Amino acid sequence: MPVLNVHGATVSYGGRAVVRGVDLAVAPGEAVALMGANGSGKSTLIKAVAGLVPLAGGSIELFGTAQKRFRDWKRVGYVPQRTGAASGVPSTAAEVVSQGRLAHRLLGLPSRRADRDAVARSLDEVGLTGHAHCSVDTLSGGQQQRVLIARALATDPDLLIMDEPTVGVDAETQAALAAVVADRIDAGCAVLLVTHELGPLTDRLDRAVVLADGKVVHDGAPPRPVGEHADPAHQHAHPHANGHNGTEGADDFWGGK
Amino acid sequence: MNLDLSILDYFQYEFMQRALISALVVGLCAPSVGVFLVQKRLALIGDGLGHIALTGVAIGFLTGFAPLWTTLAVTIAASVVMELLRSHSKTSGDVALAMMFYGGIAGGVYLTGIASDKGVANLQQYLFGSLLTAGWSEVWTIVIGGAVVATLMLVLRPWLTAICADEQYARVSGLPVGALNLLLLITTAVTVSVSMRAVGLLLVSALLVIPVVTVQQFTRSFKATMFSAMGAGLLIAGAGVLLSAVKDVPPGSTIVLIGVAVFVATAALAALGRRLRRTRRAHLPPEGEPLEVELPAKA
Repeated sequence: MPVLNVHGATVSYGGRAVVRGVDLAVAPGEAVALMGANGSGKSTLIKAVAGLVPLAGGSIELFGTAQKRFRDWKRVGYVPQRTGAASGVPSTAAEVVSQGRLAHRLLGLPSRRADRDAVARSLDEVGLTGHAHCSVDTLSGGQQQRVLIARALATDPDLLIMDEPTVGVDAETQAALAAVVADRIDAGCAVLLVTHELGPLTDRLDRAVVLADGKVVHDGAPPRPVGEHADPAHQHAHPHANGHNGTEGADDFWGGK
Repeated sequence: MNLDLSILDYFQYEFMQRALISALVVGLCAPSVGVFLVQKRLALIGDGLGHIALTGVAIGFLTGFAPLWTTLAVTIAASVVMELLRSHSKTSGDVALAMMFYGGIAGGVYLTGIASDKGVANLQQYLFGSLLTAGWSEVWTIVIGGAVVATLMLVLRPWLTAICADEQYARVSGLPVGALNLLLLITTAVTVSVSMRAVGLLLVSALLVIPVVTVQQFTRSFKATMFSAMGAGLLIAGAGVLLSAVKDVPPGSTIVLIGVAVFVATAALAALGRRLRRTRRAHLPPEGEPLEVELPAKA
């Protein structure tokens, strides 16, 4: 049974169909990228999957349940497309990440040990343990993005939906995030990722679905890099002036611990 | 010592005790709601509901019911309509707010005009507050209403923070976003209605917002902001009542003026503090963070 099954989905904004009859299935533990140019409807489709925009036609099933009747949202981790995690009142990184546990808590009851552990664990996964009690608006854009990813991981999702999670994140951090996400994929978590660039995150993909003008134009093997990157001799490691060798050693992802 | 005694002297009078209790309760509870409104960037909603409340007061004058209850009914109805408009139509938040400003004032003045033919009505005490004329039953209503509001806000803090900070994410987490939004607006309506005798409808929004924006210049977490804003509200309201007693001026305007003064002073202080500490960085980059560029070799 697929964790996500989209059938003939159509979404329109003010009468203009942005997504037109899209079929998309994601199997458990499968990593799928949704690609396409700006305006191809990929973000709109993912918002429809997350239940943020209504369908004009077709159907969406999550974990075998029609989306309208789906209540088990704690199985879905969502990373929205945005530029920062800050808002009107200061909040610490730990406070933002703990929003990811609210779906596990009963309304009005205090958090339990498991909730606090999950928050600490996902902050650690994205390498922000040292910044847990910093106000998010003092963090850099890339760090804020990592906070939002940690929030999605804190819910222990079976399906992780990410809308361009690596915009504004440097290459090194992208590689580290890719490792975090790969760990979750190995643990059986399915991933649906919107992206319009190939990068470390797309290396671990099982499939890519390419949209153009609201329709699926490709569903299969992820596109391969061309040019210099396609050369088998090309090492995907970027040596740096300080002699630090990028992708080596799991402990070294965040630049030396 | 003399001064302390003379301040205590004022509170021999029961009306001063009542005034102080109501002001302290409002000062403590209003920021507990206000912190979420500021988070949601809805700081003006208190003003909007305050204007609508004027119509509620006038309905009280017309019908002979206690204005507190008619105001409560009208503001709650307005907040439900507001939430429905926001979630089900394309009316933007500030258009709905503008309608509340105009409609509320106009409705209040129009209905009071009808009522004053019958020789009732004094809008002034509701517009700018009249703590000193409140009776004990009114004080109890303020205390109970304030306690309910503050308890709800404290217990539901994580959920309300989530819907105020990132409503889309809260929706995808499966939280009851619509119900929580409505709850927040209704508690705002309750706060406005019970605070109107203390600071007045035109000034009530000040106690929702000023303590929050004052303390958030120094706080890092939402929790600390919420608790210290409640403390700041308590102090500002208490100081306002004391000063108004000493100077024999209306408490509502004194409370708000003290709040504004405290905000301006702390903002200046915070700016100075930042200037002094500009060289000290709160977050050093992790050691050995790789450069994203290759440095040209030095000649």
